[in-house]
Amino acid sequence: MRIEEYKDMIYACGRCNLCHGTDFDERCPELFTQYWESSTLRGRIAIARGILEGKLDYSEQMAERIFGCFMCGRCQEECKKAADISTVEITKAMRADFVDRGIKIPEAGSKMVDTVLESGNIFADSPAVHAKWAEDLEFKRDAKTLFYPGCLASHRFKEKTRILVETMQAAGYELNFLGDKQRCCGTPYWITGRVSAAKDTAKTFVNMLVEMGIDEVITPCPSCFRALDEEYPKLLGTEMPFRVRHTSEILRDIVEKKKLKFRVSIDKKVTYHDPCEIGRLREIYDPARKVLGALPGVELIEMKRNREEAFCCGGGGGVKIMYEDHSNKVAKERIGDFIETNADLLTTICPACEMNLTHGTYAANIEARVIDVAELVAVAAGIVDKEILETDYFPDD
Amino acid sequence: MVDVGEITTLLTDIVGPDRVTDRDFDLIPYSRDLSPAKQKLPSHVVMPETREEIQSILQIANDIDVPVYVRGGGTSHWDAFLPQVAGPSIMLDLGRMNKVLDINERDLVVTVQPNCTWAKLDHALRNRGLTYLCSEAGGPAMTVGGSVMKAGGGPHSTAKFGFHGNQDVITLEMVLPNGDIVETGSAAWPSAGKFERQCLGPDLAGMFIGAEGILGICTELTLRIRPAVDISERMTAILPKLDDVIEFGHFINRHVGDEFLQGIYLWVDPTAPDVFFLMMDIFGYEDKIIAHRKKLIVDKIKELGGEIGDRAPADDYYGRILTGLTDLFKAGVWHFFGSGSLRIDDIPFLYKVWKEEVIEKRGYTKAGFGGQVLPRRWLAFMVTNYKEPEEWNELVKMCDEIDEIVLNGPVVPYGIGGRDGLRQFVAARDTGYYRLLKTLKRTLDPKNILQRGIFIPEEEF
Repeated sequence: MRIEEYKDMIYACGRCNLCHGTDFDERCPELFTQYWESSTLRGRIAIARGILEGKLDYSEQMAERIFGCFMCGRCQEECKKAADISTVEITKAMRADFVDRGIKIPEAGSKMVDTVLESGNIFADSPAVHAKWAEDLEFKRDAKTLFYPGCLASHRFKEKTRILVETMQAAGYELNFLGDKQRCCGTPYWITGRVSAAKDTAKTFVNMLVEMGIDEVITPCPSCFRALDEEYPKLLGTEMPFRVRHTSEILRDIVEKKKLKFRVSIDKKVTYHDPCEIGRLREIYDPARKVLGALPGVELIEMKRNREEAFCCGGGGGVKIMYEDHSNKVAKERIGDFIETNADLLTTICPACEMNLTHGTYAANIEARVIDVAELVAVAAGIVDKEILETDYFPDD
Repeated sequence: MVDVGEITTLLTDIVGPDRVTDRDFDLIPYSRDLSPAKQKLPSHVVMPETREEIQSILQIANDIDVPVYVRGGGTSHWDAFLPQVAGPSIMLDLGRMNKVLDINERDLVVTVQPNCTWAKLDHALRNRGLTYLCSEAGGPAMTVGGSVMKAGGGPHSTAKFGFHGNQDVITLEMVLPNGDIVETGSAAWPSAGKFERQCLGPDLAGMFIGAEGILGICTELTLRIRPAVDISERMTAILPKLDDVIEFGHFINRHVGDEFLQGIYLWVDPTAPDVFFLMMDIFGYEDKIIAHRKKLIVDKIKELGGEIGDRAPADDYYGRILTGLTDLFKAGVWHFFGSGSLRIDDIPFLYKVWKEEVIEKRGYTKAGFGGQVLPRRWLAFMVTNYKEPEEWNELVKMCDEIDEIVLNGPVVPYGIGGRDGLRQFVAARDTGYYRLLKTLKRTLDPKNILQRGIFIPEEEF
């Protein structure tokens, strides 16, 4: 079993309940949706220990507890102070054990993997449809910096992605693009336990980039960022021959190195949602805030749960696909944090968060736009019209 | 005997299907606490949200003769809230009863549900410039109800007001094993409010505090609160001899130990068993009072031949214990043993057991020794980190031996618990107190439904 690898962590749990939180469910989105102790880190460790000791076995009924984890890292942030147990790694190992043992995983998770295997992306887009957002944009075929948007940015947020690329190009970045050759990074595989498929994907992807002579990958998607920067080296057992950066760092560079002039005042109160995968899981909290702080007319108001303590948007861990009701409930709760700030705009810097928080606005029955930080940069730089920030604006996509 | 499926159906009728579980993977997380107590599984976990639901659960438990156990934050150190029976048992997870119900700024009392954590309460109070006096040692996840039901204590307490598990409780709302609801203190009078502990007749709150849930389930607590103190001073000192610590303890309790001094914490590290390290927190409303108290303390430490030290180690320690538990389990999981309450003058007894029996005779050099000298006595303990599972059996054996020695001395056990706790030591003494407790238990809970096997062994009932 793959959890054997984490035996030391599992036995290090002192059952202190710090992971659980001080208010029952204000930290953990899984506990917020499923209530039981088995939904907490402490509970999952008890389950893992029970399995290791032969007192318990994986079962289809257990799947909701293991696959209903948002992998947001909120509990492990607390556990850093006590036993430093990695929920994300143990949960991944447990999901892989499900697959290895042939125990049925949530059907939507299986379907997502099948879709990626068949079409190369999670939306079953044809390559042409998947790259449609890039029409009329000019990429440099010999550039060594690859812009890799990932599935969500390609399919769901075509306009946002175009704006991001236009902004980076205006700032002088020369970007390459995979076009029809783009395929999913593989995140759907390891969040559903399909480790062998993940390995094949990583190998193919890296070979392709090496052939193209790529030495840097820029992506707006925190999952893709972590896939290329963390998972691939683990899966392939080697360092990547290219650097990987998330767009939050690129936008910060643009601001700090004054690569764009900001002439348009935003004139909005803005709050910022920390994506779990670049926040807690990579400790990238400041770049987006520095960018927002540099834009004229932006008043940043923090949500009560921010940075390390930020509540998940509900989009993590594949829960959006496998247990959509749980995901929407969490998104609605997070929108409640936004409403409390009385900010005009909810910004973030992750396509999955943008999608789920947008769904959260529907669930909370409020009219609000969820804006990528890059869109604000583009508005301030005069690259796009300010109208995209308005509540009644409907993007082309 | 009623089967698992029937119990599930009965509980589902009360709380609905989403708040009842009998699935093995849901049960196993409820099978351990913070102690090395052996794993014990309930057959059901149910998550009530109201006292009425708890009433109904207790009523059907009586009808079908299935014991009910109560779980707050699941951080007990002595097997006090784990099932003790082999057959079916119902575990109440009170996680959803966690609200701050009312902050009464005029009467300076707060009413909470039992699973409100101290950290949550503190946050709610501080937003209004208020605070509760004393803190638990169990970390931010420790619940108010769990603390009070075990008469909890921690590094912060005062000579004048004691622990929150004592004078700070104003009223309790308890559901008795037969489903009756009892309110204590001023709340016992239907047309009055929640403002005083000792009212009407006997102090029934005291009967429930520390009973580890065997006499009733706490569904609401009203506690005394105070204006927040903004001025504090943290100090450390090293004293050359344990006798000096004793003198300092008496001095603090006689001359300094009112609400302005909230903690005196002794720590003796196993690597330096003759170094007596004190950590002290002073809180107050005015700078000049803090300065006055500090001067008294500094002068006394110097008179006793001690040295005032850097506050950094105290910041680290309080940080680990009270707020962050930083690296707490790096050296293994945690266990307290050889612990209890004793007179200030009797601390050499416990220290001697630790030094001679644990460190020297058994060569166990991982356990430290410590205690709190406020209010007006020691709550002292030995504590260690150990590796599960490999060190488990050896540790439990040693702790049992040490407990036996300690409890034959002038030490009152703190935390009784179940078969892996200290209940056998209580039963063996067959005191009038114990007989009265059994009488109360039999009267209030004739079928031994609530917390069966906790405090009182089944065969003693």
